[in-house]
Amino acid sequence: MSVFDVLFCIVALVTVGSAAIVVLSRSLIYSAFALLFTFFGVAIVYVFLGADFLAATQVLIYVGGILILLLFGVMLTHRLYNLNLKTETFQLIPGMLIAMAVFTSLALAATQTRWKLVPEKSLEPTTEAIGKLFMGEYLLPFEMASILLLVALIGAAMLVRRRSDA
Amino acid sequence: MIALQHYLLLSAALFSLGIFGVLTRKNAVNVLMGIELILNSANINLIAFSRYSSHGLDGQMFAVFVIVVAAAEVAVALAIVLTMYRLLKTVSLDRADTLRR
Amino acid sequence: MILDNLHSLKFFLPELTLTVGILAVILCDIALKGLRNRLNPLLTVFTLVLAAYYTLQLNNVASASLFHGMLAIDGFAQFFKLLLLLAAVLVVLASLHSAELASVHQGEFFALLLAVTLGMVLLANSTNLAMLYLSLELVSLTSYIMVGYLKTDRLSNEASLKYILFGAVSTGSMLYGLSLIYGMTGSLNLYTIRDAFLSQGVEGVNQFTILLVLVLTMAGFGFKTAAVPFHFWCPDVYAGAPTPVTAFLSVAPKAAGFAVLVRFFFSGMSQTSGSQWAMIGGINWPLVLIGISVLTMTLGNVAALTQNNLKRMLAYSSIAHAGYILMGSVVLTGDGIKSILVYLFVYLFMNLGAFLVVTIIYNSDKTFEIDDYNGMFKRSPFVAVAMAIFMLSLIGIPPFSGFMGKLYVFGSVIDKGLYWFAAIGALNAAVAAFYYMRVLKAMLIEDGSGATAPLQVSFLNQALLVALLLPNVLLIVFWNPIDRWTAASVQLFGGV
Repeated sequence: MSVFDVLFCIVALVTVGSAAIVVLSRSLIYSAFALLFTFFGVAIVYVFLGADFLAATQVLIYVGGILILLLFGVMLTHRLYNLNLKTETFQLIPGMLIAMAVFTSLALAATQTRWKLVPEKSLEPTTEAIGKLFMGEYLLPFEMASILLLVALIGAAMLVRRRSDA
Repeated sequence: MIALQHYLLLSAALFSLGIFGVLTRKNAVNVLMGIELILNSANINLIAFSRYSSHGLDGQMFAVFVIVVAAAEVAVALAIVLTMYRLLKTVSLDRADTLRR
Repeated sequence: MILDNLHSLKFFLPELTLTVGILAVILCDIALKGLRNRLNPLLTVFTLVLAAYYTLQLNNVASASLFHGMLAIDGFAQFFKLLLLLAAVLVVLASLHSAELASVHQGEFFALLLAVTLGMVLLANSTNLAMLYLSLELVSLTSYIMVGYLKTDRLSNEASLKYILFGAVSTGSMLYGLSLIYGMTGSLNLYTIRDAFLSQGVEGVNQFTILLVLVLTMAGFGFKTAAVPFHFWCPDVYAGAPTPVTAFLSVAPKAAGFAVLVRFFFSGMSQTSGSQWAMIGGINWPLVLIGISVLTMTLGNVAALTQNNLKRMLAYSSIAHAGYILMGSVVLTGDGIKSILVYLFVYLFMNLGAFLVVTIIYNSDKTFEIDDYNGMFKRSPFVAVAMAIFMLSLIGIPPFSGFMGKLYVFGSVIDKGLYWFAAIGALNAAVAAFYYMRVLKAMLIEDGSGATAPLQVSFLNQALLVALLLPNVLLIVFWNPIDRWTAASVQLFGGV
């Protein structure tokens, strides 16, 4: 067991543990902050996999964007004078059974399948390669992603704006 | 030695927790958090396979697009949730049931 | 041949037109404050017609793969492009005189409609898993927004919330399944995936994993086509959304969902032996599809029997029709694909027609309940007879075009020898007749209890009704061109 293995175990435990807090906690704020740790844990896992650009993107967009949005969502959808941000659940037992069944089948698939394996590659910076791919092979999805963002922006803004315009 | 299977088990755990969250939580924002867990687990899969199973960076490119889509989805979902809050003063999913007659 | 970015552009004109159209509508909405209410629909229709014109220009081009293997140009793609553009034009026209949408600002609606169409066109053509996911999400996200468009209406908002939560989970699960495919084959391109599966054989990868992957990806496709068990969003969303949006959702994204399902399973996950396909991994996928199809048909038809709200009834009816369309996918032959294309084509006109009548009646009576349709014949014979024709076409009674759809689907199943499956389908169609007839009975025979004033139908809506009636009534006479067109469209790049 090298240092990296121990580190990976710790990171994995933190990630899964905080994800468990996200879905099990009775307080919404605790869930949101546990999600922060989950996202950071996932970013560190990306670093273990040599995806440096993606780790940075994960932190920037997930933590810096999506998590902030979710926190706004939490704060804006409760009456501020009643900071009783507790949540209820329904049907815990069936949900737990289904989640266990899903995990068992996925774990079975993960360990029993003969995945396609290529020879081990050295860890290299990926940003330049990703940039070239965006302008080369992945140009069409890149442009379509920009249309998607534009449309989502317009739609979300339209749904939320207050002034009624005929 | 960290092998591919360890990453896959990690993502399987995150996926199951996400499904559990979606099935059992009543608050709409909480369900959104579960959905984000699902998307993150798929992303871990993609990047792990990109390193162990393919010669190029296809998995990482796909993962970037998944992050983009996740951001857009959260924005639209929160817009809808905010609209619901304005109309009903609550975002609890058991109150959103007038359609089921 | 696989084309690079620059050379693919001249085959990409329809989609480029749609993109420019989206931007033009947005700019027009911001800049021209006075004219915009009249200009926006015109711009939208013009964009769609121009895109259809460019699509027709591509009709006899040899099959090719565009943008480094992201999209495919083939007969199959051409068919769906034209079908989806036609659906969009009809929905734009139907939404112009709709009371529900008149109360809100419509500029963004047209931009969203163009964006959905762009996404669906890309979805029907995708041959790369990343492109597939991206275009599926483009369609889904814009649909979520369009369903919740009436932001002061509680039902519309509830519908969009259920839609987005259910949809996000389904597409997230599908994404997980796609990532597993990537792990098994090392590639995101559908054709490379198929070659990798074929060369590895069944013992190469675990059969259980392939089954798991199929279940996960069916979560996404089943969600888009509203097949059991991923149909739960359908009745609530259809009932809560504005009626033009419901009409659009029931026809166009469903067609795009079937297109991607066929392309994914036929080009990516099966092997050709003669003119038949067999699923890789030796999984008896036809049996699974039969099961899904029977469940979908039966659930849709049985649930529709007890509905009083016409939109919910039509929602369950469209679930049942998805079951019939799935029958065509069971046979795994070129005939099966052709029957799917024929059914989607005739289904477009009859379903849009039914929803147009719902819109017209809502415009004056502000109701969706079937009981409030009593005595419609005395108030407007034209509308009542039109609805009768649409209902009869949906049942599948000759000589209306709905009959041709069912004929092809049942025929392809019988050709394969699955007589009991066709019998279940026919039984379902008979059960379905009950709830369609209920609407007919209410409109034609029952006496109206409420208003007796004649129905006010705008000229545009009348013209649209005629435009939708004509295909239902006349197509059976001019059937040969349709048959030839769909037969020529069963042409998948690298797949047939």
